Amino acid sequence: MGVQAVTQRTGPGTPLDLPEVRLAVRAVLPVSLVLLWHVLSLGWPHTPQYATPVGVLRAFTELWAKGSLQAGALISIQRILTAFVLAILLGGSVGLLMGYWSVLDGWLGPLVHTLRPIAPYAWIPLVILWLGIGDAAVISIVAYAAFFPMTVNAIAGARNIDRNLIDAARVLGAPGLTLLARVFFPAALPSLLVGARLAMGSAWIAIVAAELAAGSRATQTATGGLGQLMYIFYTYSVNLNYIVACIITVGVLALLSDCLLGALYRRLTPWARGS
Amino acid sequence: MIPMRGITRSIAFRYLRTMALVVVAWWAVSAWLARPYLLPSPDVVATSALKLLASGRVVAALAVSGRRLLLSYLLAAAVGIPLGVGMGLSRWLAGLFDWLIEMVRPISGIALIPVLLVVFGVSDALPLSIIFYAAVFPFVLNSASGVRHVDARLTRAARVLGAARGRIIRTVILPAAVPDIMTGARIAASNSWMALIVAELIGAPNGLGFAVGYAQELGNATLVLAWITYIGLCGYALDTTLDWLQGRLTPWRVGLKVGG
Repeated sequence: MGVQAVTQRTGPGTPLDLPEVRLAVRAVLPVSLVLLWHVLSLGWPHTPQYATPVGVLRAFTELWAKGSLQAGALISIQRILTAFVLAILLGGSVGLLMGYWSVLDGWLGPLVHTLRPIAPYAWIPLVILWLGIGDAAVISIVAYAAFFPMTVNAIAGARNIDRNLIDAARVLGAPGLTLLARVFFPAALPSLLVGARLAMGSAWIAIVAAELAAGSRATQTATGGLGQLMYIFYTYSVNLNYIVACIITVGVLALLSDCLLGALYRRLTPWARGS
Repeated sequence: MIPMRGITRSIAFRYLRTMALVVVAWWAVSAWLARPYLLPSPDVVATSALKLLASGRVVAALAVSGRRLLLSYLLAAAVGIPLGVGMGLSRWLAGLFDWLIEMVRPISGIALIPVLLVVFGVSDALPLSIIFYAAVFPFVLNSASGVRHVDARLTRAARVLGAARGRIIRTVILPAAVPDIMTGARIAASNSWMALIVAELIGAPNGLGFAVGYAQELGNATLVLAWITYIGLCGYALDTTLDWLQGRLTPWRVGLKVGG
């Protein structure tokens, strides 16, 4: 293995070349860790503060049967979609304009590059002061977090367009709108889709942060969403099994949306493989 | 005419120009809104921020948060880089950790806050572990890909010239992987910075994130904005420092990677 593996990819005869062996090696750690967790949990006290594999599974079916998991997920997904569309439209158009038109980049660039490294979550307290703890607050935080990856990639996409393409289309007499829709946009599309995918990832992290923070500041009113559901399980029942079930749900949803956008990327821009 | 153009093109000029515009717009909106409890004017926030600095609370919060960030970040580097390099070198090790990492990675550190609230309560251990978790993955993944993508001609040449495996790893593979590891270090820094703010906002008794959240609970928009200014300055300083460091340590790779 070792250096050999780095330089030659595969040395004939290593057991790792067999697909069954590779599968087994990969499964070892996840399976044995869950087993270890289960075995250890047999000795733990039977209180909800201790999460066990069986307990998490039971919590999951219980929450599903009650419908609270679906209700929370639905609220979170609606918020994410609204914020995502906002971030894509705003970030995409601002980014493309900045990348194409250097005057705008000169004015807005410093602002974007100053705000980007600031944690979006630092704004949560201000947003709560302004908008309360409902949909509007959560959506604006998520949209803000998703805006930057989208914008940065849209800028790069517009800036890296081969100017010869645009010149050629112009010389051949393409009117402005055709130029935009048939040359400019397709050329920037791979970067835009990469930006959208990263924005979706940021959105799923941000929504948990926003809903947790909103939930931790809610006094009586429920603000909804998976993030607040977790916080409720922390404050009212201190049930770790429920919380872990919520976390796994968020992880699976985030993974699903990432796979979806990845598939979209491969489908829409087959020429941009491996960038 | 020419020196004037030089000035208008300089980065500092453009920066100040934009920021001046932002401050003017802020001032105009706050004057038009006339609700200082929601949006105080920039000069009120600046006065409050200076008072905060003079009281020593900024330095105190910064010390607490900085210690947490540094401690967890360094620990994540100490665990993540060796693991990633190992995974890059050995297909066995890579196979062993592959699925585990892919299964855990979609779960953000922030989602773990409620779990740690139950386990640790509101404490120092909570932000420390969240930051570590947020920072360790970029270190592992970028170190592994850095080692894996070392130009095979380099390692082959070293082998032909008779270098032993340990020596090839030390003198060829690791130096060639440094740019990717640096990229990982930058992503890890920005991840851990965000994790720090949220973890302190929800689950710590002190620090920058706690301070801004506490100001919100007081309903004091001026104080919230003053703290956001300091958090913003810190985030910007962190990013600029790392950018500079990356340029100094791996000058041959500057500008090749777009952050992700």
